[in-house]
Parts: sequence; structure tokens; C-alpha cells
Amino acid sequence: MTSLVTFDHATLGYGRRVVLTDISFDIPDGDFLGLVGPNGAGKTTILRALLGTLQPLGGSVTRSPTLRFGYVPQRDQVDYNFPLKVIDVVMMGRYDRIGLGRRPNADDRRLAEEALEHVGIAQLADYPLADLSGGQKQRTLIARALVGEPNILVLDEPTNGMDLVATTQILGLVRELHDRDGLTVLMVSHALNEVANYVERIALVVEGGFQIGTTEEIMTEEALTQMYGIPVEVDSFDGHRIVVARRRSKPVHDRV
Amino acid sequence: MFDTVILFRQALYGALVIGVACSVLGVYVVLRRIVFVGATLAQISSAGIALALFLAGAGVALGPLLHPTVMSLVLTLVAVMFFASGARGRIPPDATIGVTYAVAAALGILLIAKASSGEAHDIFLQGNILGITRGDTLVLLAVAVPVLALHVLFYKELLFVSFDRETARTLGYNVRRWDLLLYLTLGVVIASAMQFAGVMLVFNFLVLPAVTGLLLSQNMRGVFFWSVVSAVVAAILGFSLSVPFDLPSGPAISAASGALVLLAWLGRRLAGRG
Repeated sequence: MTSLVTFDHATLGYGRRVVLTDISFDIPDGDFLGLVGPNGAGKTTILRALLGTLQPLGGSVTRSPTLRFGYVPQRDQVDYNFPLKVIDVVMMGRYDRIGLGRRPNADDRRLAEEALEHVGIAQLADYPLADLSGGQKQRTLIARALVGEPNILVLDEPTNGMDLVATTQILGLVRELHDRDGLTVLMVSHALNEVANYVERIALVVEGGFQIGTTEEIMTEEALTQMYGIPVEVDSFDGHRIVVARRRSKPVHDRV
Repeated sequence: MFDTVILFRQALYGALVIGVACSVLGVYVVLRRIVFVGATLAQISSAGIALALFLAGAGVALGPLLHPTVMSLVLTLVAVMFFASGARGRIPPDATIGVTYAVAAALGILLIAKASSGEAHDIFLQGNILGITRGDTLVLLAVAVPVLALHVLFYKELLFVSFDRETARTLGYNVRRWDLLLYLTLGVVIASAMQFAGVMLVFNFLVLPAVTGLLLSQNMRGVFFWSVVSAVVAAILGFSLSVPFDLPSGPAISAASGALVLLAWLGRRLAGRG
């Protein structure tokens, strides 16, 4: 399977400040990867290096020449003071394809409407973006990423600040885009429990440490205890894996 | 009353050109929350005029650089390059802008106080709208038309990088370059308008019409439309009242702009849109 992005012994940071060292992994075509870790651990740094907005301090980050990102930023990164309709925002995903100094045409509008239909909010096309709920705003940003016909969808904390229903719906939608359309997905999140039951692989970033593997490999008590530095339990509830910090200390080797 | 207005029609034309150009750029100034940058650029621009007058009075021969508008443009563009670079140090960006504003305002007044040229202190607050000639209006048009053409041509690019710079970056947009274009057009318009309109009126045109537009419309096209319309109405109204009643034109236009903001706000409240 072709690799879309490859990190090869990359050292990442800002100026002289090194955040992560010796990061090696790749994202093959068709992957569904969760980049998970607490706030401040370096997820955004990896994300920026992946998107090409941050150059590695050492090693290399290579992207497939045909790679096109469908980037879904954190919802609060977008300025809702702008008086924009949902369809106008979705159309932005095609701006670079439309070309410099040219205006969107009927085809661009049709594609934007199709993208909105794809994410289930076709009826909101002419609503002001600012009037939408958190989940609807997130769907708008996903539609904008899709309308550019990307080969990898990159979502930054897509469920941040959402309630249980909206979170489940958004993660379900992303899963559907991967399963139904075969879209490669990278989802960045601080919520391991949310992501673990949707993605196929997990890259875990914790205070300078980095580990990547299938969900089964990462969601073990040994791996997580080692990464987080505190004893954790991995339990199963109705087919879902849940990670909890252990309250009473038990020897780690007792557990699965 | 109209006879007097007709007598000063060149001044009205000049005010309209300044109003239209500033009210279009002002939509970005307000939406990008760089209102204070606008105020600071205006202040630096007026300090440039003061510097030119001071140097002329002191007999320094700098050729064309001594023209108030040219000196104003040079200083404003230097500031533009600084603000558009997004350089961040230990001091928060708005504090840096505040320091620049305070220093530029003080320097302007100090330089004018020691300038032997008698062009009054008024330029700092009121400008000299009534002094606009046909030639001045043509110069203002020569600046405003290309600037507005650039903004029409690159509307979607400027909108995208203003609305969501991170995503624009992932699609290959050089966000810094587009920022620079926006700031440069802002700097050129402010510097060319400053000698005639003064700090208060330029700042007014950069902020108030855009606010009126945002109150009256829920889409970008409507915001630009109402911003320009309210700038034009304020210019005509303020000017028409200031000439026969012997009021300073700049403050009269600014007051008219303020009244339009109030009307737009009331209209929005009455329409139930908060």
C-alpha cells in the first residue's frame, strides 16, 4: 500500500525548543489513524509537521507528491464573526482548485451542495454559519474538507466541547467516510476513550514519548501504563474498550 | 445651502473617494479585529506629515521625500511591513501596537510644535477636507481604484486567509503574502488620505461604516454594500451640514457615521436580530 506521509527519524520543535525526537511512522493509503495524547504533549506539533506548516528540525517528513489534505480545524479556530453562509464556507475547500482571481461557478456550488448532503446537512446550505450548533458547524467544516476531493482527511479535535450525542454522531460520520468511501483519515484527539473505539491504529504522544500501533497493540495496560507513567486499566464494556486510571495500586503484571 | 456645497464640490468628491476606499478595507479591519492597527497606521501616517513639515521648516533638502504624502507613505509602509510580518516577541502584539500608537501621536505633535511651516495642528485631527482640489481628487482616485480592483480580484483569497488561515495554509496559500497585500493596500490608502481627512476621519471611515454593514447584513456582499453606502451617505450628509453651518467637516462626517451606526443598531433590534 502506498504511503501518503512518512516521518523518518524526525525531530520536531520550534526554533531551539525540541518537542519530540526520533519520530518514525507512516500513514498508508486507506489508514484510519488516531493521533492521541494529552494537551501539550506534542500532537499539534506532529500535525503541523504532517501538514507541512512546520519543518522538522532533524530527520525528514515526506509527503506523496499527489497528496491533498482535507483539513478540518478545531471549531474555535474559525472566526464566527464573519457573516458567511454554510455554502460559502464549504466552497472555500475548492478555492485553490478554482484558481487565483476567479470566482466559483455553478459546478463548484453543486459540488459544495453534494458535500453538504454527504455529511447530512444539505438543508442548512443557506443558513448563517454562526447560527449552527457545534455538531452542525463541525459537519460544515468536514464538508469543506471533502469538497476539495482530498486523499486524506485530517481532523483536529473534532469532538472538543461536544456533548455525548454530537460526539457519537461526528465520530460515526467520520467512521462512515472511512468505511464507505475508503477515505484515509487522521484524527487528532486528547480523548483516548472516544477515539479508540473508532480508529484502526493509534499513535500515542505523551510527554515526549511516542508509540504507534494497531488499536489492539496500543490499548493494553502494559503499553498505556508505560506511556502514561501511572497504572491504568483497560476494561471492556459492551464491546467498547475503556481506559481508566487505577485508583488502588495493583502490580502491573497481574493485568492483561 | 446647496450653492455652498457646490462651491466645495471637489472637497466632497475627495471625501467620497476616501470614504469608499476606507469603508471597503474597513470590513477586513473590523472582521480581523485589527481596529487598533488601523488607528496606529493612521497616527504614524500623520506623524509622517508632521515630519515632512518639520524638515521643510528646518530647511532640510530631501527632494520629493519632503512632500507630506510621500513621507507619510514611507513611514506607514515601514509600519505595515512590521505589522504584517506578525513578528512575536516577549511583548504581546497589541501592547507593541499601543506603544507605536502612543509614540507616533506624541512625535507628531512635538514635530508640528517645532515646524516653522504654519500648516496648523488641525491636520492631526481634522485634516483639511475643504482644501481638496481637483488634482488631489485625481491622485486619491489613482490610489483608490487600483486598490479596490485588487480587492475585487483577490476577494476570495483575502477572505479565506482572514477567515481561517490554518486551513488556507494547508491548501497552499502563502498566508503571510496575502496578509502583506491587505496591509499594504491599507497603508497606501491611509497615507494618501491622511493629509486631507486627518486621523479622526480616516479612522472613522475604517471602522464605523463596516460596523453599520455588519449590523445590516448577514452576508459578505451585503456587508460591503452597506459599508460603502453608509460611508457615502455620511460623507454627503456630514459635508452638506458642515459647510452652511460653518462646522468642521471631518467631525461632522464622523458624527453622521456614528448616527448611521446607531440607526443600523436600532433597525437590527427592531427586526429582532439582536
